[in-house]
Amino acid sequence: MAAIRKSGGVVPYFWQGKLVDPRDDEFAEHLSLQRFRTIENAASEEVSVGWITPADPTGDNFSPEDLDGGIGTWLRFRIDKKSMPMKWLQIHRDAAEKARGKKMSAKERRELKEDLMDQLLPRVLPTITLVDALLFDDRKTVLLFATSKSAKEAFTKLFFETFSIQLEPADPLQSGMRSDINDELKHTLERVNPIRWPNTTLDNAKTRAPITDMPRPAPSVVEPKVAKKPQTETSASDSSQNESPPFEVDEAAGMSAETTSTEDALEAPVEAKMEDQQ
Amino acid sequence: MSQASQGVETHGFLGEEFLTWMWFKWETEGGEFTLSGGRIVGIAIDDFLTFAALTEDETEQTLRRGSPTRTEEARTALRQGHRLRKARLLIAEGERQWTATIDAPSLTLGGVKLPEDAEECESEMDRTADRAANWLALHEIVQALYRLFLKERLTSDYQSTGAEQQANWMAR
Repeated sequence: MAAIRKSGGVVPYFWQGKLVDPRDDEFAEHLSLQRFRTIENAASEEVSVGWITPADPTGDNFSPEDLDGGIGTWLRFRIDKKSMPMKWLQIHRDAAEKARGKKMSAKERRELKEDLMDQLLPRVLPTITLVDALLFDDRKTVLLFATSKSAKEAFTKLFFETFSIQLEPADPLQSGMRSDINDELKHTLERVNPIRWPNTTLDNAKTRAPITDMPRPAPSVVEPKVAKKPQTETSASDSSQNESPPFEVDEAAGMSAETTSTEDALEAPVEAKMEDQQ
Repeated sequence: MSQASQGVETHGFLGEEFLTWMWFKWETEGGEFTLSGGRIVGIAIDDFLTFAALTEDETEQTLRRGSPTRTEEARTALRQGHRLRKARLLIAEGERQWTATIDAPSLTLGGVKLPEDAEECESEMDRTADRAANWLALHEIVQALYRLFLKERLTSDYQSTGAEQQANWMAR
């Protein structure tokens, strides 16, 4: 078994309440109840998320020694995702349209897609993502070694399902509230406003404008999801976008990136292959 | 909205102020901090900076390679009142040195490089234990630095003391 990674991205979480002692057999039993279950032979597009150990990628064994991460507990979960390869769908549709000499109707396309999914999905192997975390029970802290939104959501959900404990991200608010600053400062923290630093490039005198507060950003309101109107005509590329599986894959395993931000571009090489880190 | 993203949305600016404060402390005081328990850590801004946009319509500015903190673009951004959104830091404690890119609004760490494995590590298990200790140490250093910042930032006279000094530095 290779050692835990020595580079990459990490997202810290805190929890409150009491977790099962990771040294107890009961801890491994909890993991076992939410173990990874294979979808290798599934005939539909689906995602499977569950615990495994660094020593056993199947999720069949949870020996306490396999969770030994020195001063922490080494957790690993696996995300398998099976989805229809859209290129195959496009090739078959192009061939069908060429053979009959005209475009297929939306209904015909749907039927062709359903037929192909029945035929091809049992033969498609799922993509696999392995994600590690280090849990420090005495500090009520867990470090997740993945930064993608999908991996974070999968992890917090799996953790809750396993231990009935809600993880809180160590963001600027939670990190402050969890720190040893006094209650008065914590009270101030909850209500503090951003500093508006003066723009001195606009000053034409030697005195600069005063420092002021600016309004604190309010949490955005989540709009209720509106059901999408069924599409009657889709192109091949439309089809691949609209019918993507319900789970965004983790960039860490070399699957499709969910964002192209500067940071992700910067981190891509170090997150590209987990095995490299080990 | 989940609680997970609420803290980032409402208090992400504090992470940005924290990162900018570390730059200020590094340039004006050398970047050495004494943490609780007498631990001394040193920080330096490395070769990657992103300035937060002042408004949603503005463009984020990223500077990378070389010494971006010394560039005219960086000084102009500070003079315009921009905060740091991301920066790659060198963090050292004793013999150990980490590099990490801090995403300020979430305080997550990207592109981390741990110190070299200890020479005493003879097995993969030893290496795991050593690295786990280094991951935790990095997390605790960042949290401790943030705590130092908060203790200064949340005092009632901050605007007339620490912020005033930082504003003068930003205006240079």
